[in-house]
Amino acid sequence: MKPRWLSLLLIATLGLTACSEAPPQVHKAKLFTLGTLVDVSVLHPNEATAQQAVKIVEDELAIINSQWHAWRDSPLTLINQQLAQGKTVTINSVSHHFLQQAQTLAANSNQLFNPAIGSLVSLWGFHHDDRPDGAPPVKEKIAAALKQAPSMANITLTETTLASNNPAVQFDFGAFGKGYAIDRAVEQLKLAGIENAIVNAGGDLRAIGAKGDRPWRIGVRHPIEAGVIASIETNGDESVFTSGNYERFFDFDGKRYHHIINPRSGYPANDAISVTVIHNNAATADAAATALFIAGETEWPQIAKQMGIDEVMLIGNDLTIHMTPKMAQRIQLEIDDAQVNIIAGDS
Amino acid sequence: MTRADYCAVLFATLLLPYLYINQWTGDEAGISAAIMNGSETTEISLAHDHTLEINGALGTSIIKIEDGKIRFVASPCLGKQCIHSGWLEHAGEFAACLPNRISVAVLGEEPRFDSINF
Repeated sequence: MKPRWLSLLLIATLGLTACSEAPPQVHKAKLFTLGTLVDVSVLHPNEATAQQAVKIVEDELAIINSQWHAWRDSPLTLINQQLAQGKTVTINSVSHHFLQQAQTLAANSNQLFNPAIGSLVSLWGFHHDDRPDGAPPVKEKIAAALKQAPSMANITLTETTLASNNPAVQFDFGAFGKGYAIDRAVEQLKLAGIENAIVNAGGDLRAIGAKGDRPWRIGVRHPIEAGVIASIETNGDESVFTSGNYERFFDFDGKRYHHIINPRSGYPANDAISVTVIHNNAATADAAATALFIAGETEWPQIAKQMGIDEVMLIGNDLTIHMTPKMAQRIQLEIDDAQVNIIAGDS
Repeated sequence: MTRADYCAVLFATLLLPYLYINQWTGDEAGISAAIMNGSETTEISLAHDHTLEINGALGTSIIKIEDGKIRFVASPCLGKQCIHSGWLEHAGEFAACLPNRISVAVLGEEPRFDSINF
């Protein structure tokens, strides 16, 4: 054997060993909190630091959950009691920020994101961790709740007080609190020096940084079949939120009733199967996904524009995939023969 | 070539097939699943068909493993959404009975996605 063959053999061997270098380590943890399963992924070389990051997320989510829980005894249920009695409520700066953000999002969505309809949500039986199958509310009760027309426009906020001119205002921040909690958790992670992580609460997530030398890859689950319908590579710091009619529901007399209540009709919204939103702020993405789901196939582009959302995918009842041009540039469809409609304009 | 050269050649020749097998080919062994009960996580193989009874916060959830797939078949929750989730087969797929605080996630080689949105 010539020496050059020896060299080539050794180079090939060394090349293979170089290929076997371990990929960056992602530390994963699952937590039962916020009424759902939270999946935390942290890319960090130090195991102890990653575990500490998970603890940071757990603690922050627990704080938000206990503060804003809509049906277990909490500061929020106390606020609801006081508003029902027509009282002005004293609030701190954190609550002021939370309520102000929710009020702005509600206004921008034409009140389709309406966290003031807690009584209606409760009437539908969704103020339980585990809603049993059973009859929906009678139409007279729904009509009565609608007539009171509670909305975020009824409330007046100052730095230290909250008041309502409508005693029917009862808050339920189910379409906002999870996003807000994720935002808070991610901000705490950043303060702790974590640069690459995903916080996924029940399927809705915010991802920061990347997985080493590539972006985080997110699969969007198909709304009616097994597997994913699309995938997204996140860019820096982004939230991906989906609202769908398959998340929480009950069946009665062969009909399915889901948990996203249209504040205009009083019944579960039925003009879409799911809506996926990408935005850098998780709370905004959370509220927008709900508002656009309720807006449905005809109204969603206008509401998205008002809310400053330019990356949206709505799956209609006939499984047509409607997208903004910017979402179409971002998303990779993972199914064959999809019927896709990319809306005109820059929204 | 010296004796040391021959030793190096022999070493490299033996090492090459080992590295090809271990670094460039996939692990064909059956995938597994992580079952989380409260804060405790247990990894189980999906290679053999069997049924598990797991006592959670509310009662007993029954989880079935068949043909490399896994699913909830019974749970004490009211909504039964864990059962509606059906069979889980691919790495990254999961289902949870939140009231009973039990979740199942399919594990595998490097999953295609880092996180699933729904």
